[in-house]
Amino acid sequence: MPEVEYTTTAKLPVDTIWDFVQEMDNWAPFVAGYQSHEKLSEKESTWTLKGDVGVMARTVKFQVLIEEWAGPERVTFSLKGLNEVMEGSGTFQLAPYEDETAAPAAGEPAPPTGGLLSRLFAAIARFFYGLVHGRAERAQSADAGPAAGTSRLTFHLRVDPGGPMAPMVNAMMKPMLTPAAEGLANQIMATLEKRHGLE
Amino acid sequence: MASAPAQWDLEVDVACVGSGLGALSAAITAHDLGASCVVLEKADKLGGLSGFGGGEVFVPANRCMKELGLDDTLDEGRAYYEFVAAGFQSQPHMDKLLATMHEAIDYMGEKAGVSWKACQGLPDYYYADAPGSKASGRYLSVDLFDAKTLGEWQQKTWLTPIMPPGALHEEMYAWGGLAKVTEWDYELLGQRIAEDLRSFGPGMMGFFVKAAVIDRQIPAHTETPVRELVTDDAGAVIGVRCEKGGSDFFVHARKGVVLAVGGYDHNKPMATMFEEMEDWNGVFPAYLDGDHLVMGPEIGAAIASVPNTNLALFYGYQIPGEEVDGRPLWRSSWEGGCPHAIWVNKEGQRFCDESFYKDYQPRIREWDGKKQEQPNTDIWLVFDGNYRERYPLGSFMPGQPLPDEMVVVADSLTELAQRMEVPASNLEATVAHFNEGAEKGEDPDYGRGSMPWAIRLVGDESYPNPLLGPLTKGPYHAVRLRPVSVGINSHGLRWNLDAQVEHVRGHAIPGFYTVGNSAALLDIGGGYQSGTSNSRAITWGYVAGRHAAGQAAR
Repeated sequence: MPEVEYTTTAKLPVDTIWDFVQEMDNWAPFVAGYQSHEKLSEKESTWTLKGDVGVMARTVKFQVLIEEWAGPERVTFSLKGLNEVMEGSGTFQLAPYEDETAAPAAGEPAPPTGGLLSRLFAAIARFFYGLVHGRAERAQSADAGPAAGTSRLTFHLRVDPGGPMAPMVNAMMKPMLTPAAEGLANQIMATLEKRHGLE
Repeated sequence: MASAPAQWDLEVDVACVGSGLGALSAAITAHDLGASCVVLEKADKLGGLSGFGGGEVFVPANRCMKELGLDDTLDEGRAYYEFVAAGFQSQPHMDKLLATMHEAIDYMGEKAGVSWKACQGLPDYYYADAPGSKASGRYLSVDLFDAKTLGEWQQKTWLTPIMPPGALHEEMYAWGGLAKVTEWDYELLGQRIAEDLRSFGPGMMGFFVKAAVIDRQIPAHTETPVRELVTDDAGAVIGVRCEKGGSDFFVHARKGVVLAVGGYDHNKPMATMFEEMEDWNGVFPAYLDGDHLVMGPEIGAAIASVPNTNLALFYGYQIPGEEVDGRPLWRSSWEGGCPHAIWVNKEGQRFCDESFYKDYQPRIREWDGKKQEQPNTDIWLVFDGNYRERYPLGSFMPGQPLPDEMVVVADSLTELAQRMEVPASNLEATVAHFNEGAEKGEDPDYGRGSMPWAIRLVGDESYPNPLLGPLTKGPYHAVRLRPVSVGINSHGLRWNLDAQVEHVRGHAIPGFYTVGNSAALLDIGGGYQSGTSNSRAITWGYVAGRHAAGQAAR
């Protein structure tokens, strides 16, 4: 099943980012292929996206259910296809990013903890991760380093197509997910930075 | 038409307009004979219609058949071609096509690296009744093509939603054909998609694009529509005026222009006039808009035609939300040929063998002289709960919800007919009559199940007659169908045996060639067999490339 996790940082306090993220209308247009969404209740919403899987674009409708609302640190949600056989889940996770010991995103190779050789390998691994996964519009250099008042946003998404064609759909969707996750996280941060004069 | 500019933007020997099989075959051949070439493509991707289709190349007595020990002869191939053409061919054109085809196909295999292989197990359309027809091997296809070898063109070549990505022809048939799509090896297809290993039309055009723009470094300009032919004072074509980046871009083609821009499916007035159908829809992206029948006649080129009755017209539907190149995708419908499904017209009556498009195609244009209308242009696919449990509808697998805006559903045929707005008594009688035969594996009205090609494509071999099963179980479903074309049109430019376009006065227009679906179907006449469009594109592209390369520069 395609799964992606992407982390980015900004020189903004967690509460500022949380205030923005908790209102889905703020960031819905940043979702790749966004067409529309509708809030059914505090926890339920339906979304319509247009996804381009290379051979064609297809409109996908799905329901999102908030499973855990643990602000200002974490939102966990599940999703279920309404016109496709598909399930999935995801989280937005926010944390202060104030020192070097802050945990890395799960999708990225771990920072070095051992000797020189292991640090070298880790650096090479991170370089290739960047090459393979690419970067969204907001450059990596825009990320803030660890410092007081800096936050880290991690977006995790897992999509699990069902039915007999699932392995094929997986292969088609996989290249879409990383740029989609990066795009969403980076656009949220870029919008907030602009709003707070941090461009 | 345009006059030569004071300053050309680009000067080559041969300008190939379009980037499908015909254009690239001409470019490859001319290049190999020392001519400098350029490919000018209107779309933002290379491959043309050929890169969007099934990638079958119909070649009787081909080399792969011989290697497999499959029996065939040129004489049998000729007999079959003549049967399909039904007397509407120009015999000299057909003769030269058949005499040159093997040379051209083998050239692309040996010199351009196209990895041909025979599609085993797929019969000729009219097998076994037609003279010279064969059960297997005449359709060539290609091995998997590694698109990563295309470099920057990997993302600028057509993929197709109408064929399963990564599957080979023989695999599709070995896995049970379209009716057994739920049982295909999707793990394998997923791996190939991840590696961008292409098959069908995209795979075939991968080989040709690589041969032309990677291996031979022939420059290709995408998003560069050719708008006019440039002629000299003697009426010879010496170049083209394109649009590139919003400005004119003049290309001097010293030895010739090869126009290979496909047909006119997306030029509504042209399609209505030439195809005699008010409702004309194209499966392929919207670049097939009849440029050849504007630019050619503009300099005096003649138009020729074959009967439009039985070329390559289907019924199809759109799935809400599916788009290609920013436009809704038309899918050709094969579902009506599966067990537990039929087609009915607006009177609620069957009118054809739904599994064999050569049978139903002429009936699409049928005219009711008393009602002054075409009764079979706006029809319905009807299937029952048995179908729904077993077979897909387009990209919807059994059990997957179907969109309300596309599918009418009811628990009874009566209710279904009411929602379809067809006479309920007619629909009930039609289904009852069909069921009576289907229970016995027979279709006394239209002979469904008699054509091996249709059985191979959509049949379910677990049934006594793989194409027949009664509609007995609710809920009943109906999907509205409309005529859809796949770019094989009845009218094109008239051309001679060197692929030169002919003037309305009868002489060849110097420097002007046409191949592929832009060239009238003089060589194959009044019928169509899948794969002949591709084999004639390669053959005449090869002929045009050789002839143009041998000309003196103008």
